[in-house]
Amino acid sequence: MQYKDYYKIMDLARDASQDEVKRAYRKLARKYHPDVSKEKDAEAKFKELGEAYEVLKDPEKRAAYDQLGANWKAGQDFRPPPNWDEGFEFKGGGFTSDGASADYSDFFEQLFGQAGFHFDDKHQQGFHARGQDSHAKIYIDLEDSFHGATRNVTLSAPKMDAEGHVQVKHRTLNIKIPKGIKPGQHIRLTGQGDPGVGKGQAGDLILEIVFNSHPLYRCSESDIMLDLPVTPWEAALGAKVKVPTPEGSVDLKIPPNSKQGRKLRLKGRGLPASVAGDFLVVLQIVLPQADTEQAKAAYRTMKDQLDFNPRRFLGV
Amino acid sequence: MNSHDLLLVHTGTVIEEGSLTLGQLCRACGAHAEWIICLVEESIIEPQGDEIRSWRFSGASLVRARSALRLQRDLGINLAGIALVLDLLEELDNLRAQTR
Repeated sequence: MQYKDYYKIMDLARDASQDEVKRAYRKLARKYHPDVSKEKDAEAKFKELGEAYEVLKDPEKRAAYDQLGANWKAGQDFRPPPNWDEGFEFKGGGFTSDGASADYSDFFEQLFGQAGFHFDDKHQQGFHARGQDSHAKIYIDLEDSFHGATRNVTLSAPKMDAEGHVQVKHRTLNIKIPKGIKPGQHIRLTGQGDPGVGKGQAGDLILEIVFNSHPLYRCSESDIMLDLPVTPWEAALGAKVKVPTPEGSVDLKIPPNSKQGRKLRLKGRGLPASVAGDFLVVLQIVLPQADTEQAKAAYRTMKDQLDFNPRRFLGV
Repeated sequence: MNSHDLLLVHTGTVIEEGSLTLGQLCRACGAHAEWIICLVEESIIEPQGDEIRSWRFSGASLVRARSALRLQRDLGINLAGIALVLDLLEELDNLRAQTR
């Protein structure tokens, strides 16, 4: 078991006041809250922070933790000294914040976890309740939605064993991805959530669909968007070009005098649905490099032949 | 896990736009109806339908309600603050999607 330096996690000195602990928590919680933060390991950091705060905010737990001494280094192999918690009175059992208890580290479990947190099934005789709905995200490719697919998803959920220890259990489910599902939509799997208490029904598993980023396409609702590079003459004179779509390539007519960023809509070629989405092509005009004599000559010809000042509206 | 689990394919139901009742939303979030009603009053989530009985929520409401629950629990933000945070986050997401 590895020692956790809760002071270091919260960036606090060991003699920080309780007010400072609270302020540090608020500040870091804003930074790493998974709903707000875009930092990659935000969720793990936030959990670690929650655990550190759970100990340091509570003067009893903090005193017990401090008693282990300041010489431990984070990550160092740790065994609690025998009877380390002798003489400490934990009023509320190990955990004070409800619901969040399941994900704490072994280190925390070992120190604060055993006291008073045994699920005693005997107390729940005759008590029935429906299990909670559980939630997970499932990452799919755009093609999975376009054609329909089966994807497996591995879910990890904390489970209590017979002795009341919390363990993370993994299970894998094969999920049918319905054709045309949009990013942000949900799939409900009845009875795959948390088991009920007593004779209560199990809850549902609710999966949120998230699209992996695609090398070519972006998705917005049922519409699929593609940035299409075109030459200046294709944009100016009009052209017929091949465009990739998830269904294979199609011929697209670019109207003459098209401007940079112009959107061309292929109706009904987005994600399939009762009302299918559209496929939107966004023109990106790309200039050829002037790296040969011919290319330079062509640009010079344009300069001589065209009376063109794109800065006219700037008044200079 | 046994091989049976590997072969079994689960077919769920898609939560369509505006299909969740108040009761289903409460259960899906693990929250009380009173709290969901507060979210509606603060227009953090907006159901279709006029009366509470006929309220129908979208999947997006589910995401927002769950975020709201976490923001309140973890950061102690009040409902007005949550409304502002969620709207700003949504705007940020849209901007990020455009610049990508």
